[in-house]
Amino acid sequence: MGSTLSDVIIGVLVACLGLIGLFAAAGALDIEMSIFGWSMAGFALVFILGLIKRHYDEIDAARHAPQAVTIEGVAIHE
Amino acid sequence: MSEAVLNPLAAPYTTAAPARHPAYNEDIVRKFLIASMFWGVVAFLVGCYIAAELAWPQLNIAPWFNFGRLRPVHTSAAIFAFGGCALLGTSFYVVQRTCRAPLWGGKALADFVFWGYQFVIVMAALSYVLGFSKSREYAEPPWHIAVLLVVVWVAYLVAYVGTLLKREEPHIYVANWFYLAFIVTVAMLWITNNLTLPVSIYSSRSYSLLSGAQDAMVQWWYGHNAVGFYLTAGFLGMMYYFIPKAADRPVYSYRLSVVHFWALIFIYIWAGPHHLEYTSLPDWTQTLGMVFSIMLWMPSWGGMINGLMTLSGAWEKLRTDPGLRFSVTAVGFYGMSTFEGPLMSIRSVNALAHYTDWVIGHVHSGTLGWVAFIVFGSFYYLVPVLWKRNGLYSKRLVAWHYWISTLGIVLYITSMWVAGIMEGLMWRAYDAMGFLQYSFIQTVVAVHPLYVVRLTGGLFFLLGMLIMCFNLIMTVTSRSTARAIAPAAALAAGA
Repeated sequence: MGSTLSDVIIGVLVACLGLIGLFAAAGALDIEMSIFGWSMAGFALVFILGLIKRHYDEIDAARHAPQAVTIEGVAIHE
Repeated sequence: MSEAVLNPLAAPYTTAAPARHPAYNEDIVRKFLIASMFWGVVAFLVGCYIAAELAWPQLNIAPWFNFGRLRPVHTSAAIFAFGGCALLGTSFYVVQRTCRAPLWGGKALADFVFWGYQFVIVMAALSYVLGFSKSREYAEPPWHIAVLLVVVWVAYLVAYVGTLLKREEPHIYVANWFYLAFIVTVAMLWITNNLTLPVSIYSSRSYSLLSGAQDAMVQWWYGHNAVGFYLTAGFLGMMYYFIPKAADRPVYSYRLSVVHFWALIFIYIWAGPHHLEYTSLPDWTQTLGMVFSIMLWMPSWGGMINGLMTLSGAWEKLRTDPGLRFSVTAVGFYGMSTFEGPLMSIRSVNALAHYTDWVIGHVHSGTLGWVAFIVFGSFYYLVPVLWKRNGLYSKRLVAWHYWISTLGIVLYITSMWVAGIMEGLMWRAYDAMGFLQYSFIQTVVAVHPLYVVRLTGGLFFLLGMLIMCFNLIMTVTSRSTARAIAPAAALAAGA
């Protein structure tokens, strides 16, 4: 599975968990459910921000990586 | 060491092509290792505190720090946090290496497994302290946290099985079999034992779907197999990889390891009812539990012999490699506690031992002596490898850790043996008139000194853990363990 596809699937899964957390917090009948709901929403938010950050970090790293020198398509130095 | 050395039977099937090194995800292994060490300190610290609460009840600070609320924090932190993180981390390491394939699902899936698991641990601990336990031993988290754990566990299974399916090696090394049995069976056990009806979708309270003796039997079917598949099968996977690696020897008998695997997983699953002898459970199920427990002697000792004999021709390494000493002692404790468990399941022995501190001593000889020691041995091997260091910061500190921890375990289990047998004998003593000879409080007073000895043993073990943390942190950060950079690499780095 490609890294980008994996990021998207996990991102959507975690976003759903975050939404469930918000619903749980909104209707909570006890303090435990309230804490759990808010915490899960926060967890989802931070996790997805982490995914986005890593995505752009990888793009930056690829942009600044040394380019391979090639002659007629054959790499001679990295 | 090559795969052929690890696994002689697989040698004919290995390719002759030179080994390639895919980009293993070692970051996730490092994260789990750090988390395991952190949770280990928490688990042992809370364990010492509740041991002190039992010796001096004034330490029960109501309501958050009562024994009843802190005890599941201790057990969950020890089993699921310390042991669980070690299992998840090492399984990700072993499956990648033995399959010669990077972890399937990319970094996002692995990170979700790691952070999701940490989130579940923190939420569970918080729920216990707040008084929202489900009151099922080793399955205390409220229903919504149990469901979240299932989601994380399925992600773990997907990453693990995906890596197995994408492997470059034709053979699946036996350690992976044990890890896979641990993952699949724990999922089955956890889901079945957590079948509950919530009071409301917005409430943490729930009621078990089962009731009465059925409920009790499912609980102990789960409870005992949590020991069998979480605390045994998974850590046997660790044993079958890290002892051969540290000893630089092949597994003594690969065939025996396969027999060990199938016999263990077939027999263990039936042994749960021995926790409910002399209860309202049907008599035949109690007998079934006892018989299968006795049968467990065979695979358990087969595995122990296989682990110990792997050191054939390399016993001298025990003098020079204190990390390996932990692993080998762990196998010894595995043999001892898997002898003691079936013994305690025999009805006449159970009549004396059940509900006493002997059970606590037995559990801790397994968890401290087997589980924690095999983790320590694996970590002492892994840390220099994962952080690319020359070796450990101090072998002398490892030796100190070993002896302090061993002394701690000896103090712990001997005090609990004495306390348990004394309790059992005092509870069943009658006078000439047929009245109970001792009141319950007299038995509590009698075991008090032994509770203090138990606390001392726990403090020794905690001290050993802190020494290990210091040693491993120094291993990662100290200049003395840094690898020398090859001249060509140094030139390239300078250029």
